[in-house]
Amino acid sequence: MKYWQIGLLFLAAFLIQPSLLNVINIEGYTPNLILCLTILSTFLYEEEIYGVIFGAVFGILYDIMYSNVVGPMPISLILVALGIIIVREYTNVENIINMWAVSIVSILAYYFMNWGLHHITGNPVGFRFVFNSVPWIALYSLAVITILYRILVRKLAKHRRDRYIR
Amino acid sequence: MRWIREHKLIAGLLALLLVLILVFLLSLGDRENNTVTGGINKAMSYVSRPFTAVTRTVRSTVSGIFSYKSLQAQVDELTAEKEELERELAQSSLKKSELEELRELSDLLNYDYTEEDFQVVTADITSFDGSNWTNIFTIDRGTEAGIEAGNVVINGDGLIGKISQAGEGWAQVVSIIDDGDKVSFMVARDRKLLGVVEGNQQAQIAGYMLKGNATAAEGDIIITSGMGTYPAGLEIGTIKTITYNSDTLLKEITVEPAADFRSLKKVSVIL
Repeated sequence: MKYWQIGLLFLAAFLIQPSLLNVINIEGYTPNLILCLTILSTFLYEEEIYGVIFGAVFGILYDIMYSNVVGPMPISLILVALGIIIVREYTNVENIINMWAVSIVSILAYYFMNWGLHHITGNPVGFRFVFNSVPWIALYSLAVITILYRILVRKLAKHRRDRYIR
Repeated sequence: MRWIREHKLIAGLLALLLVLILVFLLSLGDRENNTVTGGINKAMSYVSRPFTAVTRTVRSTVSGIFSYKSLQAQVDELTAEKEELERELAQSSLKKSELEELRELSDLLNYDYTEEDFQVVTADITSFDGSNWTNIFTIDRGTEAGIEAGNVVINGDGLIGKISQAGEGWAQVVSIIDDGDKVSFMVARDRKLLGVVEGNQQAQIAGYMLKGNATAAEGDIIITSGMGTYPAGLEIGTIKTITYNSDTLLKEITVEPAADFRSLKKVSVIL
């Protein structure tokens, strides 16, 4: 996938997240589209880091708009992406179960780091409250990741790690 | 150096991470509403406005079709409420004449009183923060309408929060839950019952009654007392639970907010 195509996806997510998505929330919960795209693009595209870069850029913009401090969102996204880069070396990216496992761990790690960084800055939201809501956000995000995965995985070369194909 | 050459991708990301940590540390101080923040918020306010408007129209049309029966019941309920209000209006016109008499009397006695007169600006919500934890949103009116940081925000249901930042064409609102400010309140049923509430770690409004023997009860409506930032008489919510804390000797309360922060469309800003 070309860098501008990934960029367009992130731009759409950035525009939809604070407007359209909040109007169609389920029980007040919404998926984190920028996180979903960062996880997906880092996991699927091995030689490219556009996904992480766009995630960081839109994360900064998001923090500028809605947060008291700039940094928690892009820092958490990059740390999650670094984790995925290490994990994907040992996993088959064409298997959706691997995608789900990586996504769940990444979502939990992201919210833990994001909450921690906000907590340092004096945000009063408690750990218990955040982690009561995370399972619902994770489920919703997982549904979005699954849909996007089904679309994007088709564009990947089949069995590209197979030595007979290479 | 060799490691960097062999792991260009990870090294690049680590460098980016270091820069971001630096930005994070630099932004830990008080954030000012600078040109960059203002420009981004203004641009986003214009861009997200049509998105929100279109989605709301589609949603209200679709839900209207599927909720015909409940809408009919709501119409019946509102008709009954209207009749009740008309009766109350007739009664309050009598009270109004009594009030005028009292005012005349206070003028005669040279009683000095201040009458609070607020100017209100109504605005549409253009975007929500979407973090799932906090209730921060942006409205489409800003400094051009006289809005500035610290202004109180309300809607038809009651108190919403405060303006945290404002620029031309936009202003950011932080709900009372996320604001971190203590709000002084009184019970609407008996205005001698005073207390203080604030947002807690569970993203609820919670606080305590100033007197341990206060006779507030679950279901009581609480309103702002006028002490501090918030003007008097704004509905905060309804007391959900009330428990006596034997350590602090105070009655602690949790409050169901009057406003549903997630379904807001329009708000009013008190200048």
